[in-house]
Amino acid sequence: MTLEQKITRARTRRHFFQDCGVGVGKMALASLMGGAAFGGKLNHPAKVDHVIYLFQCGGPSQLELFDYKPELQKYDGKVAPESLLKGKRFAFMDTFAKDPPKLLGSRRKFTRHGKNGIYFSELLPNIAGVADDISFVRGLSTENFNHGPAKLFLNTGSVRTGRPSIGSWVTYGIGSESQDLPGFVVLQSGPRGPRGGAALWSSGFLPTAFQGVPFRSTGDPILNLSTPPSIKPEQQSQTIEAIKDLNELLYQDTKDPEIHTRISQYEMAFRMQTSGPELIDFAKESPKTLEMYGVEPGKGSFANNCLLARRLVERGVRFVQLYHADWDHHNDITKPLDEVCAEIDKATAALITDLKQRGLLDRTLLIWGGEFGRTPMGEVRDAGKIGRNHHIDAYTVFMTGGGIHHGIEVGGTDELGFSPEKKIDIHDLQATILHLLGIDHTKLTFRFQGRDFRLTDVGGNLIEPLLA
Amino acid sequence: MPPGRKLKPEQIAAIEHWVSQGFPMPESMHKAKRPGADHWAFQPVRRPDPPKVTAENRVRTPIDRFILARIESAGLRMSPEADKPTLLRRVHLDLTGLPPTREELDAFLADSHPEAYEHVVEKLLASPHYGERWGRHWLDLARYADSDGYTIDAPREMWPYRDWVIQAVNRDMPFDRFVVEQFAGDLLPGSTVEQKIATGFHRNTPSNYEGGIDFEQYRVEAVADRVQTTGAVFLGLTVGCARCHDHKYDPISQREFYQMFAFLNNVDEVDKEADRKEFNRPFLELATPEEIARRDAHKAQVKALQAELEAYKKALGPEKVSAAKDDATKDDAGKIDPGLAERTANLRNLRSRAPKVTSTLVMRELDQPRQSYIHLNGDFTRKGSNVEPGVPSILPPMENASAKPTRLDFARWLVSKRQPLTPRVTMNRFWQRYFGAGLVGTENDFGAVGDKPTHPELLDWLAAEFIESGWSMKAMHRLIVLSSVYRQDSRLRDDLQAADPENKLLARQNRIRLDAEIVRDASLIASGLYAPKVGGPSVYPPLPPGVYQVTQVRREWKTSTGEDRYRRGMYTFFQRSAAHPSLIVFDAPDSTVTCTRRVRSNTPLQALTQLNDEAVVEFSEALGKRIEAVHGADTDKLRAGYLLALGREPRPAEQDRLLRFLQVQKDSRIASPWAAVSRVLLNLDEFVTRP
Repeated sequence: MTLEQKITRARTRRHFFQDCGVGVGKMALASLMGGAAFGGKLNHPAKVDHVIYLFQCGGPSQLELFDYKPELQKYDGKVAPESLLKGKRFAFMDTFAKDPPKLLGSRRKFTRHGKNGIYFSELLPNIAGVADDISFVRGLSTENFNHGPAKLFLNTGSVRTGRPSIGSWVTYGIGSESQDLPGFVVLQSGPRGPRGGAALWSSGFLPTAFQGVPFRSTGDPILNLSTPPSIKPEQQSQTIEAIKDLNELLYQDTKDPEIHTRISQYEMAFRMQTSGPELIDFAKESPKTLEMYGVEPGKGSFANNCLLARRLVERGVRFVQLYHADWDHHNDITKPLDEVCAEIDKATAALITDLKQRGLLDRTLLIWGGEFGRTPMGEVRDAGKIGRNHHIDAYTVFMTGGGIHHGIEVGGTDELGFSPEKKIDIHDLQATILHLLGIDHTKLTFRFQGRDFRLTDVGGNLIEPLLA
Repeated sequence: MPPGRKLKPEQIAAIEHWVSQGFPMPESMHKAKRPGADHWAFQPVRRPDPPKVTAENRVRTPIDRFILARIESAGLRMSPEADKPTLLRRVHLDLTGLPPTREELDAFLADSHPEAYEHVVEKLLASPHYGERWGRHWLDLARYADSDGYTIDAPREMWPYRDWVIQAVNRDMPFDRFVVEQFAGDLLPGSTVEQKIATGFHRNTPSNYEGGIDFEQYRVEAVADRVQTTGAVFLGLTVGCARCHDHKYDPISQREFYQMFAFLNNVDEVDKEADRKEFNRPFLELATPEEIARRDAHKAQVKALQAELEAYKKALGPEKVSAAKDDATKDDAGKIDPGLAERTANLRNLRSRAPKVTSTLVMRELDQPRQSYIHLNGDFTRKGSNVEPGVPSILPPMENASAKPTRLDFARWLVSKRQPLTPRVTMNRFWQRYFGAGLVGTENDFGAVGDKPTHPELLDWLAAEFIESGWSMKAMHRLIVLSSVYRQDSRLRDDLQAADPENKLLARQNRIRLDAEIVRDASLIASGLYAPKVGGPSVYPPLPPGVYQVTQVRREWKTSTGEDRYRRGMYTFFQRSAAHPSLIVFDAPDSTVTCTRRVRSNTPLQALTQLNDEAVVEFSEALGKRIEAVHGADTDKLRAGYLLALGREPRPAEQDRLLRFLQVQKDSRIASPWAAVSRVLLNLDEFVTRP
């Protein structure tokens, strides 16, 4: 660390401990789903209003997708130099220990795309087609090489459970525009749920009103959204009316303001019952749109979720997170990788194109990436097959949307893709996302167990070159 | 930089030196900022005399004097006592978590004895459900759950610990013993099985055994969590802040954090990959006679098959046997003697079907204690200087501890009479459960930046009384619920809104939203479906479809049938990564870290749950049937509905409104108009609120 960096950090820390967040924990909680508890005050004008996070679970191999490394191909099969591995820790150290790891050049064909000629492999032809709309952050590093903790770190800024997730922080901080849908929605696709489960969208020590609401791929999008089959629609509205009147009578007697909050929550629940089914009904989407995403109606696929994400953002939802499993290619980086790329390529590009066509992209930030990347060394678990291990030092995410440059590459990795040219870490990514939403990451704090916590802990520098 | 001029070189050098030293806080600032020995919470517990008050007629217990004195000095009055139905519902919910049944209500209303309320209190304190309610409060602190957490999140059997807590609370085990057994029951001389089960308290930490992890990292994480939990639960101090550096506000150094860590660092938990298979070590087998019989039978079967196999091998001759060994791949299946293959497979199958035996996670000390270190920046890989077990120097030292003090010495110190924090913090949490907020608002932070007590003398008096009562939890509950301050009406008053908007003076009671489990329990009582069984393995009430989709390892939820479908909410199997949604939606803690106070949110998802969840529909229908069975006019039936669901008579305006609703339902010819009315009742704010 340079002297300047150290002083900056010391200032930030002092600010963090003395100036921020005092009294927030004591604020009366009148947290409607739409309202922010932090006061809804932005720290500076927001560049975007919405976030769509396309979370690729398991650690996509940047080296097979878009971090083109001809040098790595040159040294393919050579034992990785010890200088590279010294002092590093990896998951599954035992497999590496048995046999010194060998460098693995990508077998994929890379070509240049867009006006800046950015490399993409053949695996993502559709995303390559929108190269001028997206920007890469390279050499991203994280802290833990296991899936659960690394996912927690990306979402909550800590490898331990119990902290609020980024979507919770954002809706706590600035609320949501939607009055009839949750402000923070979680969608899932793929063969299984993400490792880490509900902790990834937990509100931690923030009020539970800010936790992510998982939408379900079958049945009601929100649990208990439908009126039970035994109850007629008009009975439902009569019931809610009666509840309201009786609650109001109780309020007249007790004067407890919490009763009025409950009345308004029942009203919002009723609105959600109308808006929810409308949200997931794709009937009014044109066949062209459905084709562009590759949507198969009624199937809980990544493509469906991408279209749903656009519809959520259209309706004012603040933070939409899609989890897609599974990119954990230890054994085999050939066919299984082809398959998951095919699942996401078309729909990702369609979502970007669609948002752009509808004028939504300017006010939305879209992020695509996993919890870490994969090693330049191959990993052999089964004879005859080769995969890659988890790598936390130099992975890639891409972004598009308002407030950032498009078609550029920020950061970089060495010629083997092992280390970053300049370290950019997860707290930097989190700080940048908050910044684009108009939030200073050092000011969004919550006092818990005697300390003012924030998403970025004591780190976080904006990824300046990315900002428009 | 100073405006308009440059720093002098020696000033720059001084700053550089300070930076290179890692920004140490100057000693003078340490002293100024840190509460030393004079901070209120570190003072010995005194027993102040209860003050004189004007409203002597409102004094039922010494507690009332402390509260009344403050109210009177603010020129205010206590609220009147709540009416009988309110009082009964309140004390039932607070002591047992179950609202009164219709019969209990009728009996209380008919009882004109001047001590009718006192009799109810005694009955409730003797009820097995008292241990469930106050046990569940304790389980929040213990971060109790039925699964391992983290990535794999497999089921674990901690319910024997949960049942130990319920039984200990019911037996009114003195709190000092209650703590010692949970901390170090395994180290007590002649430790019993029960005392070992009690040590599950600190084994409720989540455990990670995902492929590729470093076991030592997560073991250290669990030990650090135990130190932090101990700090929050007993000391009311945020000792976790001192894990990476000295505490910024309180006199707890990083060294002292690791001294406490050293007490808890010697449990025989897995710390290396080679022991992966024993990831849940140490545990204690609690086989039932049936399980032992099943296991013995299984062992005998295995033995028999082994013998048969050996005999067969002998008959076959060594050549053919070794051929089978070498070529035991599917390609050469033809070469293997079919009889040998079959017998081998049978034995393998049988072995894989070893009957399950109940076991539970416990503490067990290593023969050779681990060396503990200061972990630089809290990083488990960066070991600083060695530390030995010890307690923070700001607090009274350990007495009679062995030369190298153990976890047992630590436990005894936590509840030693000279250590002032444990009784204060515990009494404050009791108070918080009864009034919605503690006398110290920051219930887990009694340090320098925590709130000051609103009634410091009362807090001390309660702490002193607690110790003098022989650490009797029941005695303290009795004292509080018999007080006038507890029995007050909870209506907001205009004069109080102006003078005391946060109700710190407690000139009225507070309405408190029910805990998640209790929302279910209240529905079970109202609907008459309640199954009163106490304890046993956790149960699986119906779960909405799709909830388990989010877990990493797909698991089966075997929906319970019979009485287990209608057990109290606290017995619902708690899967950390996908807890039952009706619990989470009403703010049950996620059980990853200790929870000393639950959040009480008020969200549309709660409304959707109460309106549409199939379980609530089932409760409504059952309540509807109970109402319909009442003889008489609609007004009689409606009255019965109110008594069953809310424990009081309807007021005229309420009756009119619901009769109107009932008529509309009847006109639309729905199958069960009274189920519809019941559904309204179960959705009222009053239903989910302790009055």
